Amino acid sequence: MIVCVAVVGHQNNPLYIQSFTDADDALKLHHIVHCSLDVVDERVNNPKKSGPTLNETFLGLLYPTENYKVYGYLTNTKVKFILVTTDLDVRDADVRNFFRRFHAAYVDAVSNPFHVPGKKITSRTFAERVSTIVKSFGLSSAG
Amino acid sequence: MPPAAPRSGDAIFASVERVNAELFTLTYGAIVRQLLTDLEEVEEVNKQLDQMGYNIGIRLIDEFLAKSNVSRCVDFKETAEVIAKVGFKMFLGVTASVTNWDADGTCCSIVLDDNPLVDFVELPDTCQGLYYCNILSGVIRGALEMVSMKTEVTWIRDMLRGDDAYELQVKLLNQVPEEYPYKDDE
Repeated sequence: MIVCVAVVGHQNNPLYIQSFTDADDALKLHHIVHCSLDVVDERVNNPKKSGPTLNETFLGLLYPTENYKVYGYLTNTKVKFILVTTDLDVRDADVRNFFRRFHAAYVDAVSNPFHVPGKKITSRTFAERVSTIVKSFGLSSAG
Repeated sequence: MPPAAPRSGDAIFASVERVNAELFTLTYGAIVRQLLTDLEEVEEVNKQLDQMGYNIGIRLIDEFLAKSNVSRCVDFKETAEVIAKVGFKMFLGVTASVTNWDADGTCCSIVLDDNPLVDFVELPDTCQGLYYCNILSGVIRGALEMVSMKTEVTWIRDMLRGDDAYELQVKLLNQVPEEYPYKDDE
C-alpha cells in the first residue's frame, strides 16, 4: 500500500507531499522523503559503471527501511518523484507504470499558466489525479 | 460562374493551416498571466481581454466570410447558427450549439462542448472574478459589429468557475443600417 508520494524540485525544495495513511506520523514520512533525496543525489552523481542507461529517469528502489520501501524517479528538469510504500512484493513494472502516470499528471499541473514554477503545486485536479493513480496502484498489485 | 456553395465548418477546418493546440493554449495562458501581472485588477483584465477580442473580431470577420462563402443571413437566428456551427469549428476546431432563444429571437446562448483555451488551467483563489475566455466574447462582438449588428456578449456559465459547460449569451441590441459617408445630393 502506498503510504506517501512526494514531488521535490531541482533545488531539493518540496513541491508536493501527500500521505495516504492516517496511522503514521506525517513528520516521519517527510523525514524518510528527505533522507531519500541524499540517495538520489548519490545515484545521480555516481552512475553505475554499466554504461549510459537509456532510461535514466527511473531510479528504482532507493533504500529499504524498517517496513517501508522508497522508490525514486528523476525527470530531465531534475524534479524528483519519491514513492514510499509498505508493500513487500512490488513489481518493477507496476512502479514504472505508476511513475509514468504520475509524470503525466505532474506535466498537466505544471502547464497551468497560474502555476509558478518552483512554488508548491496547489492544483486540486492534480491532487485528485494522484489519489486515483495511488488507488489503482494498490488494486493492480493486489490482483 | 455560379457562386460557390457555402462550405461546412469541418471542410474549412481541414483545409486551413493549423497550429499545435498546446502551443496555442500555452500562449493564451501566458497572455492572461502577463495581463494579470501588468494590470493587477481582475476587472481591468476582463476588459482588456474583451478589447483584444474585439480587435481580433473586426479583422476575423473578413477572413471568415471569404473562406466560408456563407450567404447573407436572413435573421439573427441564422447568424447565431452560422457562428456556432461554422465559425467556432473553423477557428477553434470545436463544435458549439445554440440554445435558449428568447421570444423575440434577439437573444440566444451558445454552448461550447469543449474549449481549447482552458486546457490545464485552474483559476487560483486570487483571481476568482476573472473571465478567462473573455477574448471569445470580444471576438463575437467585434465580428458582428462589422456586419452591422450591435450585440452584447456575456458569459453565463464557465467551467473554470465550477459550472458544467461554457455558455455565452449573445444579445442583439440593434441592427445599424449601413450609412453612406456622402450625401446623395452633393
